[in-house]
Amino acid sequence: MHRLFAGCYPGQGSNQQLKIITSKMYSRFIVLLVFISCNSLLFSQEKYLTRQGEVSFYSHTPVEDIKAENKQVLSIVDLASGEVAINILMKSFLFEKALMQEHFNENYVESDKFPKATFTGKINNLAEVLSGDNHVAEVRGRLTIHGITKPVEIEAKANIEGDKVILKGKFMIAVADYDIKIPAIVRNNIAREVEVSFKLEHLPYN
Amino acid sequence: MNSIKRSVYISGIIIAAGILIGAVIFMKQYNKPHTDVHSADPDYTLTATSLLEVFKTDETSANSLYLDKILQVEGVIKDISAVDGNSIITLGVENSGESIICNMYPTENKKVLGLHKGQKITVKGICTGFLLDVILVRAVISS
Repeated sequence: MHRLFAGCYPGQGSNQQLKIITSKMYSRFIVLLVFISCNSLLFSQEKYLTRQGEVSFYSHTPVEDIKAENKQVLSIVDLASGEVAINILMKSFLFEKALMQEHFNENYVESDKFPKATFTGKINNLAEVLSGDNHVAEVRGRLTIHGITKPVEIEAKANIEGDKVILKGKFMIAVADYDIKIPAIVRNNIAREVEVSFKLEHLPYN
Repeated sequence: MNSIKRSVYISGIIIAAGILIGAVIFMKQYNKPHTDVHSADPDYTLTATSLLEVFKTDETSANSLYLDKILQVEGVIKDISAVDGNSIITLGVENSGESIICNMYPTENKKVLGLHKGQKITVKGICTGFLLDVILVRAVISS
């Protein structure tokens, strides 16, 4: 039997060569595999996400102060490109008074028609922020509220601690910019410029 | 003279009463309480899986159906966490990265301590929409 098939098999020497070749290919393949998985690991670690970001706004007038908090903000930061994407549900803004929340949703931001506010932007000084030279990230992007999109520039305190990427800050927005109409009767109760604060603690996204 | 005096007096009382009633109505409206999820009957009762499915197939129609409504959702606890002293229960959906995130009422904190991952529970809360997950606020544990 052996002899019969001997011709079909490569000789003893070439068999060993084949083995060496295959083992070389194997090790190369493994190196490649490790490289690819490392690479994708690095890639996946560049994206940071939070589903429990906090955004609040505060309107101050001599008549009354109005505050609303939203603790279900979705925010994604990509540290490879510096891109930031934030999604906010308008109905998740909780007010102290039910009436204020009702007016906010029904009359001002019309949250049935426009259920979400979004921000997409980019950290302009990403290299400085990543190296720790600068703890203030300059984020430039587009903010959409009430169906109206406006360019905005926001400064955020950036902290990268361990596997956490924290962005914190506040900025002012003019209510009229987003075509939000406030009736004359409550004009004195609601500030023309509202202070928006945010605190986003991102964790690695996997 | 006397009758004029009297009519002035009466109209004064009527105006004062009107202002008082107006003020009371205004204060009542102004201090109107939030919907009490504890005692309210749910508008819809469904499972975490079917709720997520509805939002994933057509978000706009799901929004018009469920936004601001009290939903009673049955599901399995995937995660329990807390932010600023308020607990958050995540109800998982099998074979899906998405879930139902329930921001619990502060009164529920004690009850939440007794819960553990993998447990099947029913949560009642107000639906505010869908991001990566369906979100319920002011939620309470109903069983």
